[in-house]
Amino acid sequence: MNATSSLFSKKTLSLLLALIGFLLPFFLHIPGLSPAGHRLLSIFLLAVILWVTEPIPLFATSSVVILTLILFLSDMSTKLTWAWGAAEGFPTGAPPPYTVFMGSLANKVLILFLGGFFIAFGAAKFGVDKNLAALVIKPFGRRPTRVLLGMMLITALLSMWMSNTATTATMMAVVLPIIHRLDTSDKFRAALALGIPFAANIGGIGTPIGTPPNAIALGALAKINPQTGEALGQCSFFQWMIFAVPVSAVLLIIAWGLLALLFRSSKKEIVIDMEVKWEKSRQAILFYATAIFTIGLWVTGSLHGIDSYVTGLFPVAILLSTGVVTTKDFRSLEWDVLWLVAGGVALGEGVAATGFDKWLVGLVEWNSFGATMLGITICGCALLMSTFISNSAATNLLAPIAVAVATAAGGEIVTIVIFVALGASMAMALPISTPPNAIAYATGCVSTKQMATAGGLIAIIGLGIALAILHPLLKLAGVL
Amino acid sequence: MKRIAILIVEDEPEVRQAIERDLETFTTCFRIEACEDVADARDILATLASDADLPGLILCDHRLPGTSGVDFLTELESSGTQPGLRKVLLTGQADQADTIRAINRGGLDRYIAKPWNAGELRDVVGTQLTEFILDQEIDPLPYLGILSDPRLLDRIGRGPRVD
Repeated sequence: MNATSSLFSKKTLSLLLALIGFLLPFFLHIPGLSPAGHRLLSIFLLAVILWVTEPIPLFATSSVVILTLILFLSDMSTKLTWAWGAAEGFPTGAPPPYTVFMGSLANKVLILFLGGFFIAFGAAKFGVDKNLAALVIKPFGRRPTRVLLGMMLITALLSMWMSNTATTATMMAVVLPIIHRLDTSDKFRAALALGIPFAANIGGIGTPIGTPPNAIALGALAKINPQTGEALGQCSFFQWMIFAVPVSAVLLIIAWGLLALLFRSSKKEIVIDMEVKWEKSRQAILFYATAIFTIGLWVTGSLHGIDSYVTGLFPVAILLSTGVVTTKDFRSLEWDVLWLVAGGVALGEGVAATGFDKWLVGLVEWNSFGATMLGITICGCALLMSTFISNSAATNLLAPIAVAVATAAGGEIVTIVIFVALGASMAMALPISTPPNAIAYATGCVSTKQMATAGGLIAIIGLGIALAILHPLLKLAGVL
Repeated sequence: MKRIAILIVEDEPEVRQAIERDLETFTTCFRIEACEDVADARDILATLASDADLPGLILCDHRLPGTSGVDFLTELESSGTQPGLRKVLLTGQADQADTIRAINRGGLDRYIAKPWNAGELRDVVGTQLTEFILDQEIDPLPYLGILSDPRLLDRIGRGPRVD
């Protein structure tokens, strides 16, 4: 590679574009946008370009977002005697303390997620995932469509507690030998290869820790409204499950039906040989007990009063102090995911603190939108964006906007923000849509066209279902 | 993207073609280079380096015109210029002393006796390439279609991809 081509490589161009995006608002005067809003616009454009084109890892962008928010929009900026100084036009009269932005790195949603990491880590370390898979698949018998349903159900169940990507990797290892035993002409190969990533994406919706978009949505809702001094929305772990598990279940059945219809098997029977072999070391038993205890605390929050976020610290403290998770294990956790989520939370703080939301909302007559239209628009945006970029990055960008729009339109903030998380998780039409899809595609058992047909249909039907049943379910869960 | 290369060193044209034919499935994901002696092999390694491709596996006969296979493997091992390169000796003519030297000083990973079985050869090549990818911490995703080792999926599950 010569010097010219590397100078204009995609990475360099993306970085250059991000810099231009960042600098642009400094030279513009946008009517109705305060000086502080201009600075936020700079940071928002920077974040959009970096998260969409990904010249640097997603979590690296988060660190840039947090730093620029502190330098340009916090009380820190008033102390900079040598540079830009404080911006004006904050709705509260003064820039927020920088700890608001830095604090996003210790946001309670991150601690909740960390708790989830410990459960997922232990599950993988002691083979709980594979054992559960072997256990659950047994009653499903040997008929191809039933095997598919069984595999998808296990994948979805695991994905509620583990990342969609890790679940897909684990379950693909289970399913690939079955696929390889089928004839290469058998269309059912595609059903199995697609069933796993689809079920992982769908299952991730089920709990707050299932996938980062859920955490980002919760982070956006947990933000304090400066006017009322209260959080924008309240949603406990269990409340989330009350509305999300039914949504997941319906989506899973639709996905299964669709795959079974589209890719019929030419075989009558599929043989699976999976063994259940529970590890019985002291450490493994300690882990099982901790996982059951933690999940128990999560789903019974209202009985004991320990909130979901604090519960997240239990597995961390127990597994670290008993040495089940060692120093080496601890260092290997996905800290990058936490930083990615923190970037979204910090951006949300910035949007609200600068009045950027008010300006953005003023651009469109949101009041003329009905609640349904608003839902379709937001959920559709999330779906479309995360079809092409990371689900987490899409949610990071859209959640603050959703909060603003819902506030302006007088809609239900909780519903709209959850629409964003759902929309992001339902994007599974292309190999680049999610890492689970990329894994399935890479196995060579499924074509882009097959994925686009099945994934596109599921996304569109899923969008309709979510619109139809989310509201009553949220009422049922007591979130609204 | 950097490609992983398989280097075949075999002086008899028919045998070389037979190896290439047996490994044809690997051409979708890997660069395969074949040559007849060690001098050519050195040239190919230089080309790979200038193309920024990675030599992942060498399949080498022992009895070759000029430098012998075992001497070449020993040279590669001691030079340390090919990090992680997997070395397989595919020969019918290495005596015990050569074989011992290949294992102790040539960093030999596998020995395949001629005549070989095509399926076995593909298995060995697949396993060795898997080892190379895991050892060199290369993203396994592009190779899932060819290499079906569950360890690759496990690595992806722990990898940097975020939902």
